[in-house]
Amino acid sequence: MSEIDALIPHPGMPAPEPTALVQPPPRDQARQTLLGMVIQRTFANTGAVIGIAWLGVLAVGAVGAPFLASSYPLVVKTTDGQWFFPLFRYLTAVDVMLPILMILAIALVSLRRFSARKRVVTFFLAGIVVATTCLLLIHPQRREVFSEHRELQAAGKVQWSISPPVPYSPRDRQRDLGYPTYLPPALGGPHWMGTESSGSDVFSRMIHACRIALSIGFIATGIAVVIGVIVGGLMGYFSGVIDLLGMRLVEIFSAIPTLFLLLTLVAVMPPEWNPYRLYAIMVLIGLTGWVGYARFVRAEFLKLRKQDFVQAAIACGLPLRSVLFRHMLPNGVAPVLVEASFGVASAIMFESVLSFLGVGLVDEPSWGQMLGEAIGAAGSFKWWMAVFPGLAIFFTVMAYNLIGEALRDAIDPHSQRSTML
Amino acid sequence: MPDTSQNKPLLQIRDLAVSFPTGGRGARRADQRRRVRAVNGVNLTIYPQQTLAVVGESGCGKSVTALSTLQLIPTPPGRYDGGSIHWYGQQNGDSAGVDLLRLPEKKMRDIRGNQIAMIFQEPMTSLNPVYTIGEQILEAVLLHQKVTRRQAVQIAEAALRDVGIADPGNRLKEYPHQLSGGMRQRVMIAMALACQPVLLLADEPTTALDVTIQAQILELLRELQTRRHMSVLLITHDLGVVAENADVVAVMYAGRVVEYGLVHDVFKNPLHPYTRGLFNSMPALGGAHLRLLAIPGNVPDPSQFPTGCPFHPRCPSMQGDPQCANEDPPLLEITDKHWAACWHVPGYKQGKRTTPDIAYRREAVGAPSPPGRGLG
Repeated sequence: MSEIDALIPHPGMPAPEPTALVQPPPRDQARQTLLGMVIQRTFANTGAVIGIAWLGVLAVGAVGAPFLASSYPLVVKTTDGQWFFPLFRYLTAVDVMLPILMILAIALVSLRRFSARKRVVTFFLAGIVVATTCLLLIHPQRREVFSEHRELQAAGKVQWSISPPVPYSPRDRQRDLGYPTYLPPALGGPHWMGTESSGSDVFSRMIHACRIALSIGFIATGIAVVIGVIVGGLMGYFSGVIDLLGMRLVEIFSAIPTLFLLLTLVAVMPPEWNPYRLYAIMVLIGLTGWVGYARFVRAEFLKLRKQDFVQAAIACGLPLRSVLFRHMLPNGVAPVLVEASFGVASAIMFESVLSFLGVGLVDEPSWGQMLGEAIGAAGSFKWWMAVFPGLAIFFTVMAYNLIGEALRDAIDPHSQRSTML
Repeated sequence: MPDTSQNKPLLQIRDLAVSFPTGGRGARRADQRRRVRAVNGVNLTIYPQQTLAVVGESGCGKSVTALSTLQLIPTPPGRYDGGSIHWYGQQNGDSAGVDLLRLPEKKMRDIRGNQIAMIFQEPMTSLNPVYTIGEQILEAVLLHQKVTRRQAVQIAEAALRDVGIADPGNRLKEYPHQLSGGMRQRVMIAMALACQPVLLLADEPTTALDVTIQAQILELLRELQTRRHMSVLLITHDLGVVAENADVVAVMYAGRVVEYGLVHDVFKNPLHPYTRGLFNSMPALGGAHLRLLAIPGNVPDPSQFPTGCPFHPRCPSMQGDPQCANEDPPLLEITDKHWAACWHVPGYKQGKRTTPDIAYRREAVGAPSPPGRGLG
């Protein structure tokens, strides 16, 4: 009696002896998934490594911005023996959340004992918990200037204090305190990359702008990819009338000029929505940018739906959701990933262009906005306001393009053959 | 021969007709967008624990018939033009049966995999390359059976052991590309059988495998069929496979059944000239032929089936008979339990117009054939 018969009882004759077991060939190949192979090949590409390294620098800047550049000292000891931690009192929920998530991510990546899926699920669950706790518990008062510390200092009460490496906050409008504006950069001086029109430190603003540069790319592209995959997947799977209607929708959306739509949106947005301007830009880039992904996914799905394993999955009685997203999508997502890395680059460009034109973010530091100041109200060209943010935009866009190209080479079997020979 | 005549049939395919459009996308005028009948008026009946073999050349509609049974023909391009597929294997004891062609997609999903399972021709492409075989079997098991994950793993391991795969616990964690073709086909069978289906549709299960593996897989299928009391619809173009496995044979040509009968009858006394041509084109051991006999000509293009009997341009028995070129012969019962569709079969004029239906099942093979035996 075989085991399966014992597990599920059914009536019938006794089972004959099971046939001799076929000995499988020895397992000499390492267990390697397609994903693992792609990651390995991507990392073998020098350009991709440079790109990933640069994104790593940006990530550290984005996550550690309040600890790297802030006018609040980390620790203050007053002359009457009291200890203050001003920096930590003014951290926002996001400031706290990001480092925790980054540490979690690094820990999970290095924990190779668990399967990739378990680690991803853990990360998302922990991420949700951390994010909600931070958002619920942390409500700092908003302080524009480092007044408290300054008052202490003015009163001569500070015995000693430790400041972050860049002791200026991005929004310190020191012009109001009679501080020189448009100070050119001075290595070793107080302002390594100079100051801008309001007297804020450029280096500090550069660091804080990493956050926007990274988040706008990921969120805008994320929205576009999700919409594109769903629409494209349905078009490719059902074909026929749905495909016809879907492709017309794609054509309509491809005809929308994203930049002009963004300009219009920013122009008509009431000023009290300014804090949400960044999100509005992200959503709009996402809502207009999905057509490319939809086309890719549709083409892949048209090919995949005729494949035997998809037929087999349907013949197994799996629901549509599982056939589409579990069995077809992972086999057709490769070109989407490549396209997405270019999409991130273009989203960053959009934001920079908007900020450069002066209709982007109002209060937040952003590279494009700084670039705009290079030829701003001062009348003359301030080279440091053009070079540093310009280089940052250039390197970031190039990093994404390098990664995208490396991914494409890693996934495409033809290019693999030519590089292997 | 066990008397199984009072048995109820499990599956009845009646006058099935499936068509596909031709002329491509550019064809906008109605006359350019003709539809082609890939399957035209097919009748098949399967009884419990029976093996029905469907034989025929490529493109004769064998696979379309099997795919229709599970509503796997993509519609739109394809369309079910008529007929019915009645299924009496409902586990809730509903003896009236359901028409699988008219079942809504949601109910169909309960039947797919759970009551009727299918294995495909190409083991190399029938498994999803991005998941381990364990994940693929587990998904099907968890979907159809109310078991915990741990029980499902046990069922999957047992299923792999049942199809003769050693070390199933570790095999479950492997990806399809790490297995050989024969192993993959075993995995496919294990996956199809993990949910204890009543009917297995085997669409050329051994075509893509080399000959020694073919024999093993067929052996395995036969043994599992006996043990699980399954019916099998075996689609093949290999007459050796038919001789070894089938109870009843249906020979198909150009989308219709041209001969239907017990495996002994069809092999001993093939009636239709096409069937005879198939037998003649099989190599015989010790035969004196220098060249194999082949049926002259090719399978007709489905978009331009000849008028009359579809086989007449290639038929050796036609001999200029205008009836063959003008009238399509219906499938008639010539002798008891033996149907054929040819004007030139002796006794065709006296043939009875009955629906092909044979409940015969070979003597339950007490001892399975010794392993390693070649094909018939």
